[in-house]
Amino acid sequence: MTPSDNMEKEAPGRKEREWLDRLVAESLAKQEQWMDRIAEKLGRRRLAEPPVRPFRGAPDFWQQHASSREETIRTFIAHFQAAGGRVVKAGTMDGALDLLAEEIRRRHAKRVIIAGQPELRVLKETAAEAEVTVWNEAGAAGSRDAIAKAAEADIGVIIADYAVAATGSIVVASSPAKGRSVSLLPPALFAVVPVSRLKSRLGEVFADFDGMPGGGGLPAGIHFISGPSRSADIENDLTIGVHGPGEVLAVLVEDAAD
Amino acid sequence: MLESGFPPCGMRFAETEVGGVTPEAHGTSADKGSVRQRAVRALADDFLRGAVKRTTERLRAGKKSASEDLGRWEDWRERGRQIRLHTIAHLDHYLRVFAENARANGAFVHFADDGAEAVRIALDIAAMRGAKTAVKSKSMVTEEIHLNAALASAGVEAVETDLGEHIIQLAGELPSHLIIPAIHKNREQVADLLSADAGKELPPDTAALAGYVRKKLRDKFLSAEIGVTGCNFAVAETGSVVIFENEGNARMVSTLPETQITFMGMERIVPSWADLEVMASLLPRSATGQRLTVYMSGISGPRRGDDLDGPEQLHIIIVDNGRSRQLGDPVFQELLNCIRCGACLNACPVYRHIGGHAYGGTYSGPIGAVLTPALTDHAGWNDIADASSLCGACYEACPVKIPLHDMLVELRRRKAEAGRSKPVEALAMKGFAAVMAAPSRYRRAIRLARVAVRPLSRDGGIRIRIGPFKAWNEQRIFPSLPEQTFRERYRTLEQELRAGLADLDEAVRHRTEERLMARLMARTVNRPGGMPDRMETEPEPDAERSGLPLDERMPGEMAATAIQDMTRSGMARDDGKPACNDGREGGQS
Repeated sequence: MTPSDNMEKEAPGRKEREWLDRLVAESLAKQEQWMDRIAEKLGRRRLAEPPVRPFRGAPDFWQQHASSREETIRTFIAHFQAAGGRVVKAGTMDGALDLLAEEIRRRHAKRVIIAGQPELRVLKETAAEAEVTVWNEAGAAGSRDAIAKAAEADIGVIIADYAVAATGSIVVASSPAKGRSVSLLPPALFAVVPVSRLKSRLGEVFADFDGMPGGGGLPAGIHFISGPSRSADIENDLTIGVHGPGEVLAVLVEDAAD
Repeated sequence: MLESGFPPCGMRFAETEVGGVTPEAHGTSADKGSVRQRAVRALADDFLRGAVKRTTERLRAGKKSASEDLGRWEDWRERGRQIRLHTIAHLDHYLRVFAENARANGAFVHFADDGAEAVRIALDIAAMRGAKTAVKSKSMVTEEIHLNAALASAGVEAVETDLGEHIIQLAGELPSHLIIPAIHKNREQVADLLSADAGKELPPDTAALAGYVRKKLRDKFLSAEIGVTGCNFAVAETGSVVIFENEGNARMVSTLPETQITFMGMERIVPSWADLEVMASLLPRSATGQRLTVYMSGISGPRRGDDLDGPEQLHIIIVDNGRSRQLGDPVFQELLNCIRCGACLNACPVYRHIGGHAYGGTYSGPIGAVLTPALTDHAGWNDIADASSLCGACYEACPVKIPLHDMLVELRRRKAEAGRSKPVEALAMKGFAAVMAAPSRYRRAIRLARVAVRPLSRDGGIRIRIGPFKAWNEQRIFPSLPEQTFRERYRTLEQELRAGLADLDEAVRHRTEERLMARLMARTVNRPGGMPDRMETEPEPDAERSGLPLDERMPGEMAATAIQDMTRSGMARDDGKPACNDGREGGQS
């Protein structure tokens, strides 16, 4: 429970706090009842030790499969594009940022929201034709403003935390600098993807999450993004950009210091 | 017809179930009529049938190519099944671990025994947070517990934000497909619904319609106090809720409102992210043929410290609502393995004809036919299990190998044993059992039936549409009993064959019989416990060495089989030469 910052809403009052405490107590009691009942239904006592697992995760052949860096890059590009995304390559981070500034100019974007990652700040100068806002530039007090800026932006720019070749996905994890809204609200998303962060399988990324038990540092929101938002809900007819960005560009950076 | 085994096929109850069924017989489904009545309505809707057919075929083709693209699909399926089996078998452990980790992440965890309790908790939260509007992403659990109606009666507007769900909500209907809720609506109908909503005429153009919904819902996302989501999987070891979606609405719902309420079936658990990789490989491919849905979000608690978006308060309501009824059930426990992909709907010949609404519940298709009665008490809904051909296509399609067709048979069995069959049907089955108890009774019954139906049959078929023939004969012709059954004809056939064999040249016959016997003996020696169902491809030297007089080892039945084998393999050919004189079996044609 974080007391919220700027807005109308204050930190939970005493009444709400008491209510929440009561909910927690109820939940703990109920949990014991439930687990006893489940064990009884399963015809045994409650487990004292974690069950032994003869296997974990994907089949062995998949976990053992290794692919070269080139193959992984090729696969990522093919899969990301197959889902409707666009991939361009850049040699260095500087090259990637020039390329992004050029894309922003070419589109005559009026407003751009960028994540608060230091590398991206240069866009405030290089893409100055547009109004470039840094997600967390107003600090912790600017929550509603930041969301409003993201909502009216034409383009959101972020540096991805990972990418996955097998599924053609880029991965963004939330933090104060990397708002979830940056990769969600604008109609176009530009993501910088250092090749060093590109993995061949989902499991290689997931391995970093396992071993981070509750309260152990996992970000609140981890989002795997595989192409533009889509729907086929009306007569099976593909629509792009229903709620999330309709355009997704990944800039693969060969040689980015990580 | 009767020779091939009566009842002839799995659809029998649905077929013989004629109109005028008393509502009591159908329990909770009574208000919507029987499965049969709903199916008849669906079959009369040409658009529905065409749309369901097109969409399910596209989804099936997508699944096929996506699973081939992944490779070793059967290995993935088996691993998926193992993980689900293991998790459910140790659910008390994993569910507790999940709850504790989710709490450590800062989430509030609630346990709801049934729909009413889940609704009560949600309304409590809405009241405490002063909510006027709740935006919802797709959640079958909330359909199951009728959350929207409850929120509305508490003065909270609930807005479905998945495009298909939104359309269904405007129409006041239930989803008719797990993945494509508005599969049964065409774009003109959608345009009418959205035009009425917009208060201006919208063209029946997909982009324009989706554009209207996008704009309308964007305002809702930004202003709603509560976001309601479902949960595809919950990772025990990190306390994370994982949501798969394509539109981005679930991300909106879990990013913008200050309070998030996530509804989760108690069986949604996977132990670790490593195990999630298997589910993430199976679910999107089986559901829509995608490598991964456009968005897969892992949500671990409310926003952290200085995060500027994401909910301040996250509530996870874990719902039982009949699920724990399956635990420990030798047949139905596997039902909890379901990952709600909808592949069984797309594969099911019945679903593909009648669509989802004919099933009359929250869940449709083969999974719905089993899940709906299982989540309630097996009592009402008892006609849903009849809407199946028991062909097993659902099992073949299931990414975690749930034997749905076996479960359907079991449901029917339990229904009959509980005395819930219709009286006429129960009586018919009793008569059937009595007739089948002794061969002589059976033969007499057949002879009697032949005489009885003679006045009704014409050109080998019975066409009347009254009594027991009514439902069947509306679509086809019931074959009348033949003058001679196969069994009766077989006696003559056998004699003719024997006579034919005697006519063979003496020497040829001798040689043929000798070889035949040698092979037969070898097979009996090699494979104790009965006759093989096919000829071996190599001659067996053991048989030659056995040295016993052939005649002594030739039981009558073996001889009969030998004769059949001979004729099948073309031994008694015109030229009189045995077909397998090179020692190879030439037959099997």
